[in-house]
Amino acid sequence: MITVTNFGKQYKGFTAVKNLSFSVEPGQILGLVGSNGAGKTTTLRALCGIVPPTSGRLLVAGHDIVREPIEAKQNIGYIPDDPRLFDTMTVWEHLAFTAAAYQLVDFEETAEALLVSFELIHKRDTLVHNLSRGMRQKVAIACAFLHDPKVILFDEPLTGLDPQGIRGIQQAIRERAHSGAAIIISSHLLSLFENLCTHIMVLNLGECRRFGTMSDVLSEVGETDSNSALEEAYFSITQDKEKAEA
Amino acid sequence: MDSALFRLLLMRLRAGIRLRLIQLTTSRGLLFSVSFCGIIWLLVVANGSSLETGFLADAASDRQALSTQISTYMPLGMLAMSLLTVVLSTGPTFHFSPTEINFLFTGPFRRRDLIIYKFSAYVAGATLSSALITIFAQAQTGSALTAFIASLLTLIFVQLNSAVIGMAGQALEGSRLARFRWPAIALLSAAVTATVVYAWMTPECSLFDLLVEFRHSWIGTIILSPYIVFAELFVAPSLFPHLFVWASIAVLINAALLHLAIKLDTRTTDRALKENARQSDRWERITQGGSFWATERTEIPSICRAPIVVGLGPIAWRQALNVARSSFRVVAVFVGMAACVGPVLSAAGISVTDTRAVLFFYIFFVFILPRTLVCDFRGDLSRMEVYKTLPITPWRICAGQLVTQVVLACVVAVTMIVSIVVFEDGVRVPDALALAAFVFPLTVLLYTVENTIHLLFPTKLLPMGRADFEFLGRSLVEFIAKSIAILAAAAASAAVGLMTFTTIRPSLVLSGLASWITLTLIGLLTLVVMQYAFRRFAVAENTD
Repeated sequence: MITVTNFGKQYKGFTAVKNLSFSVEPGQILGLVGSNGAGKTTTLRALCGIVPPTSGRLLVAGHDIVREPIEAKQNIGYIPDDPRLFDTMTVWEHLAFTAAAYQLVDFEETAEALLVSFELIHKRDTLVHNLSRGMRQKVAIACAFLHDPKVILFDEPLTGLDPQGIRGIQQAIRERAHSGAAIIISSHLLSLFENLCTHIMVLNLGECRRFGTMSDVLSEVGETDSNSALEEAYFSITQDKEKAEA
Repeated sequence: MDSALFRLLLMRLRAGIRLRLIQLTTSRGLLFSVSFCGIIWLLVVANGSSLETGFLADAASDRQALSTQISTYMPLGMLAMSLLTVVLSTGPTFHFSPTEINFLFTGPFRRRDLIIYKFSAYVAGATLSSALITIFAQAQTGSALTAFIASLLTLIFVQLNSAVIGMAGQALEGSRLARFRWPAIALLSAAVTATVVYAWMTPECSLFDLLVEFRHSWIGTIILSPYIVFAELFVAPSLFPHLFVWASIAVLINAALLHLAIKLDTRTTDRALKENARQSDRWERITQGGSFWATERTEIPSICRAPIVVGLGPIAWRQALNVARSSFRVVAVFVGMAACVGPVLSAAGISVTDTRAVLFFYIFFVFILPRTLVCDFRGDLSRMEVYKTLPITPWRICAGQLVTQVVLACVVAVTMIVSIVVFEDGVRVPDALALAAFVFPLTVLLYTVENTIHLLFPTKLLPMGRADFEFLGRSLVEFIAKSIAILAAAAASAAVGLMTFTTIRPSLVLSGLASWITLTLIGLLTLVVMQYAFRRFAVAENTD
């Protein structure tokens, strides 16, 4: 569903991502983890067509995001870390706008269901600038889910959400994956990955340090005293590399 | 003032200078700053030489006549401004940013120190503004020093005066006196209306005659006395004793107002905090391309569906909603202004082909309207990410963004044409129809160029405080670039029309049609450039 081959991105001489290759199949959830500046957001932005890649190929549902951007974008749902909504539009109007942009004729039933599942139904006619950050995040997710995308990209999906919201979003991600969507999540919250992800990729300074199934990555550290095995694995992977470079 | 606050003020001043210097280190910043300074220098030189050659002898060179007008009308204008503050003032009187509230309000500072800190910051800014005003005002005052002192003291007075009026209003809220506010305003409005009606019904006495009479009456002198002091600063014939005396009185008035503001502040702190938070929220939204007025309502009936129209629909619909909900009043003001152009020109006896009128039309449509009414890419910088992820082709997104803006500009232009046809003698309907036909392609061209420039060289729509020469320079350079593009397109269109007239058939309709088609084609070609600019637009290069 998602195939990335030798992807690289440079900004004015600075290499943000270098020679990245991976694939995510339907039903899989890939967690992108790495320190600040590791290239997680750049990878997601390139996958959904916001920034063009400097090199490599990015296929979404079989369509090249550079050569067939419209076909590729029809299959993508992207939730940025800081959703910028239109402050003079209501919650429902955001869904209506998304439906028109994706040319969905009968969207009302799906939209209503999404509002109910994200506990936004009572905010239907509220102008979005009056919503809390968590609520705005939920609106962005509802818009991204409206056209039932085959590929969903989350950038820090839990920022600003309350405990109920966190549980609801995690449940929604699982359900989408079960129904065959390929999902990529970028986050600093390792516990989120342990709960959700089937695969994990550790990025550092734009390079892939480790890519594999969650069980493979966890098995490398074995039994630990730490509360989080993934945390142990993450530091083990990144610090080993740093030591080797030193 | 507390020494820590004084230190903070100095550090902020240094940071401001550093920021301007950093702007100068980039080629774009240097280019725009040099352009701004160059254009200002040209204006100053042109102003000076025109005065020397007596080109504007009827106005600026007649210093005595202008002095009389300043003495008469400046106090009246300042009184009107104070009264408007009484009616309209709701905002904070001394605006503290969220950062200042978080750091300074929780720090070991007295409220009095904070007010003085804020006032000092304002004085620093006003000093810079006064330096700029001095360039143009010294022709009237006779010396740069007089112009500078007069401008600085007046700017400080305006700020303190509105602050004290606002604070007094807030302090009186809930008291018995507050009940008299609206009856007093109603009484005043009735008096103004009666004066205007009297002036209108009495042919031998104009409104200006009545104002002059009031200004020079004993009651008018008493009411206007604080404002007369500041008018006298601009017309002082000598530095000593005239300017010295008036400036000393002005300083005393400003000191008294500052003292009053500090006293009143203790009674309005809660209200000021609330207003500060509201104002800061609004500015935050504006800097992110949001609407200043969008806070007025929380819930509204949603519109159930957006039109699809091959991808253009949702984009145009979103912009139309934005205008309807946040810029409706701006549109109404512009349409109202356009409707008034005909009667005003007619009353003033100015022909539509007069140079002054043509210059007004040009600046109105090419600079004022596009700068004030923004409902296209320029207001959506922070939302480019959304547009980039939509499965809609770039040219459709670009065209969709232009629809609302172009329609509104056309409505304003057509209203102005109708107003001129109705009220101006000698304007033929066929000429007006021909002009109206060209409104659409010209408007498309104007806003396509405007958006293309913005997508190629994206920047904020607001200056970063005072003396943002890069911003000011950029505005002027943009205006010049737009003018070149429009004039070149108009010249090409006129050339094709002329060629059709001379070579194919001497028909005005046919040559007009040829010109119209040429202009439309140029507009469409510019749309191609705009969609290229949209494609290459780099959304914030976040490498996290």
